[in-house]
Amino acid sequence: MKRLTAYVLLLALLLTGCGGSVDPDEAQESIQVIAMDTAMLITTYGERSPAAAYACEDTIRDLEAKLSRTDPDSEVSRLNAAGGAVLEVGEDLGVLLDAAAYYQFTTGGAFNIAIAPLASAWGFTEDHFRVPSQEEISGLLKLVNGFSLQQTPEGVALGPGQSIDLGAIAKGYAADKIVQVLQEYEVPRANINLGGNVLAYGTRPGGAPWRVGIQDPKRTDEPNAFAGVLELEDSFAVTSGGYQRYFEENGKRYHHILDPATGYPADSGLASVTVVADCGEGSGLSGMMCDALSTALFIMGEETALDFRRNWSGLPFELVLITEDGRVVATGGLADRFTLDESSGYTYEEAAS
Amino acid sequence: MKRPLPKLRPTAWDGLVVLCVAALAVALAAFQWQGGSSQGLTAVVSIDGAEADRFALQDLLKSPRTYTASGYTLEVAAALRGDASPLDHVKSNGELGLQVAHSDCPTQDCVRIGAITRSGQSIVCLPARFILRLEGGTPDPDSVDAVLG
Repeated sequence: MKRLTAYVLLLALLLTGCGGSVDPDEAQESIQVIAMDTAMLITTYGERSPAAAYACEDTIRDLEAKLSRTDPDSEVSRLNAAGGAVLEVGEDLGVLLDAAAYYQFTTGGAFNIAIAPLASAWGFTEDHFRVPSQEEISGLLKLVNGFSLQQTPEGVALGPGQSIDLGAIAKGYAADKIVQVLQEYEVPRANINLGGNVLAYGTRPGGAPWRVGIQDPKRTDEPNAFAGVLELEDSFAVTSGGYQRYFEENGKRYHHILDPATGYPADSGLASVTVVADCGEGSGLSGMMCDALSTALFIMGEETALDFRRNWSGLPFELVLITEDGRVVATGGLADRFTLDESSGYTYEEAAS
Repeated sequence: MKRPLPKLRPTAWDGLVVLCVAALAVALAAFQWQGGSSQGLTAVVSIDGAEADRFALQDLLKSPRTYTASGYTLEVAAALRGDASPLDHVKSNGELGLQVAHSDCPTQDCVRIGAITRSGQSIVCLPARFILRLEGGTPDPDSVDAVLG
């Protein structure tokens, strides 16, 4: 009987004790953040997941305080208000300005942070939507396309009347900085969604890739309507689409992705552009690249976007293009990582390499 | 010289204690392995970055909940998938979910999105800085972890 008692007590210890222990790989923290004019979800795993998640939030808040165009105390606002005077800028803004100049050059001006005055004229920055007159647009285009950043040892300066908006690149940079935070906190896996900028870090618990749905641009009123699903690990993915923000006037829809060549919402035949790149060792600032290129390639259109990818082989990224005529075009590197949602009605094509 | 220890003979009380401990152990293990008392979906409401409410999905069947955020008022109510809004063109399949039934925010995106029914889905009202998210439930390996766009 004593032996039986010992066995039962051991069983009791095992049943209660083991159930209470925490697998460090499964430990999870999930926090929601509204910042950079979007809703974000940060999910981290591992023993230090709570501290890591809140450190990610701190990183985002810190960048927002420096880069917001609507916060009058931010570095960007002070630069915009400097009236052409030289202003000393911090490291983050310096990196972003350099990157913006690079992507403006490589995309032939499709990516342009000096679009700010036009975005304000259309009301996309302040949520007071209106269609500007052609005369107003023409005047603002001179500021946008005459953009040049003066860089001196003392700091940087914008041209007279010019202003910048980093909305098409800042979340990608935040994602790059979050990778550093996750590494610092030895997070084994994380799923970070910065309002459509997704960082699929590591894999799902169990080792399968993260499953990331691409919103169907035709069914934006449905929360679970996808054109297809990407299976990703250690990757960034960013989507730009005209359906994300728009207004309608006199029966016509005007979206927020403005073409610096015309001053009007881009009309390239694309409904959305998704850019995917690795976030592993040696991938540099890939989050920023995905963010900037998703906007620029949306403006360029299908053929020019695919040509751009072929011509700039030093920029390692993959694409999923959803066209307004009902096709989903993916580049070869995603062939075994993308699954079309058959119910979406799109036809699938693999882009010629 | 040490005296020999008296020989202990188990009694009926010993057996009863053993049975009680075993029953308690099994009950505790079952509680922990099943994730406590919550087996279904849990709704989490965040306002301006802070968790404002957390409740079981079934709790909303009794009455809707109203939240005030950034000067806007939102009413969260239970809904069946597909029946949530005139713009939700999905056929109802009986799935119970949550919707923002009314909001006085300027964009109305939170109302237009219709009902959410699965873990991981959320409704966001940016003007109100309001997020409604479903958590928990049985993990579905085919569900998506994040949405682009």
